[in-house]
Amino acid sequence: MGKVKIKRKSTLIDMTAMSDVTVLLLTFFMLTSTFLQKEPVTVITPSSVSEMKVPTANLAQVLISPEGKVFISIAGEADPNVADGEWGSEPIRKEILTKAVSEYNKLHPNKKVELTEADANAFSKINMFGVPFQALPTFLRMSQTDQDKVISDMSRADVGIPIDDNKDLTKPNEFQIWMRAIYSSGNDNLQSAMKKGEGIAVKADQTTPYSTVHHVLDNLQTLKMNRFSLMTALKTEQD
Amino acid sequence: MAQIEQSDKGKKKKGAQKKMQIHVDFTPMVDMNMLLITFFMLCTTMIKSQTLQITLPTNEKVEQEQMNKAKESEAITLIVSTDRKENGDIKKDDDGRSKNIVYYFTGQPMLVDDNNDGVLEDSNLEREVFLGNEGSTQRGIRKILHDRNKQVLAKIDDLKVKWRNKEFSPNKDKNDSIYQAKAKEIRNDSTLTRPVVVIKATPEASWESLISALDEMQINQISRYQIDNINHNDSLMIEAYVRKHGNN
Repeated sequence: MGKVKIKRKSTLIDMTAMSDVTVLLLTFFMLTSTFLQKEPVTVITPSSVSEMKVPTANLAQVLISPEGKVFISIAGEADPNVADGEWGSEPIRKEILTKAVSEYNKLHPNKKVELTEADANAFSKINMFGVPFQALPTFLRMSQTDQDKVISDMSRADVGIPIDDNKDLTKPNEFQIWMRAIYSSGNDNLQSAMKKGEGIAVKADQTTPYSTVHHVLDNLQTLKMNRFSLMTALKTEQD
Repeated sequence: MAQIEQSDKGKKKKGAQKKMQIHVDFTPMVDMNMLLITFFMLCTTMIKSQTLQITLPTNEKVEQEQMNKAKESEAITLIVSTDRKENGDIKKDDDGRSKNIVYYFTGQPMLVDDNNDGVLEDSNLEREVFLGNEGSTQRGIRKILHDRNKQVLAKIDDLKVKWRNKEFSPNKDKNDSIYQAKAKEIRNDSTLTRPVVVIKATPEASWESLISALDEMQINQISRYQIDNINHNDSLMIEAYVRKHGNN
């Protein structure tokens, strides 16, 4: 009997089509999505029917953790052609830091905070900050991984911007110093956005007690920044 | 596909090269692309947050005359609260949604305290919940607010029909902006009976419950509302309600 000869077939699979598909998918993801911003705590925002989108530029975002710790993130102009590239996020953060620290030093002459140029540069790279002024120099001189570790540890006393029920603007608390510095940073776009109520966004978890969030809203009212937006997720009237 | 065939046309020339097959292996390319896709999928988000814009009054002391007192017949007070377990965790219903409650009363609070001991026996407080629409019918607190703002909503519904048919302008953006302006006019039309809503929150209320209340203002096109602090009478009324009707 004759042996059945099995023809050797090449196992090469043509990957060209596969590569086409992956490149298409990649392009899609690159064009449609935006990068996640690093935040100290992940919060799930409550949902509303409002369809207004949160702006990506000229925005001061106030994040409130369930423990009541407050963090601020500042985004400048996204388009470098506007205002001659003068007000991207990094220069604006530096400007705000200088303003806020000098204001703090004026109010607390005995406990001055001294920052170097390198510290200011480090600050301008941080998306969301939230440490008391006294802890700023040590925090900014840490490595980035250590910074992340410190800021996401909600049990630490030196995390979160200190906030209280202060109504006297001649003796502002640290949150009020920051918000005022952001408002008067010299960036007209940011200032007008804040006046219109688009420039300030308050973000909090849906399970956070209202009394915690109320603290921040009350402070904003004291600062006469009584127009602002609340971050929500989308839902329909059927939900 | 990935191979290039060099076919020689015509007759074989002398010294011409042999038919060559160039095969490019795309597997590493696909590997790399897959890694990149994974990276983008994990590090980016497609969801853009929505915002709800609100305007609060300033904290400055306002003169009594300047305070525009709401007409009693138009006023409705909502007190939002959230059902919590003893350890402070939020109670969830069967669908996994948190139990947000809204107490409400219209006009002035009516306190019934027969024996004057500071503990109320009854009040005009009612309890409702936040519920989504079923089809096109409103339920829960939305129905109550809807009924109180009927005149405005009827006009806005007419407007919506026109907006959908693009009667204001064939241009989409222009159509939208005209619709928005007209809707705002209707919302602020003082000839219609419009409710004035005061929103208060108990200490247990979650952020979600307050947002839900603000959301109802949007849905029901209520332009006059404010957020206020809860006072002693409000807590007494809730206490009396719970004592009388139980916790559910």
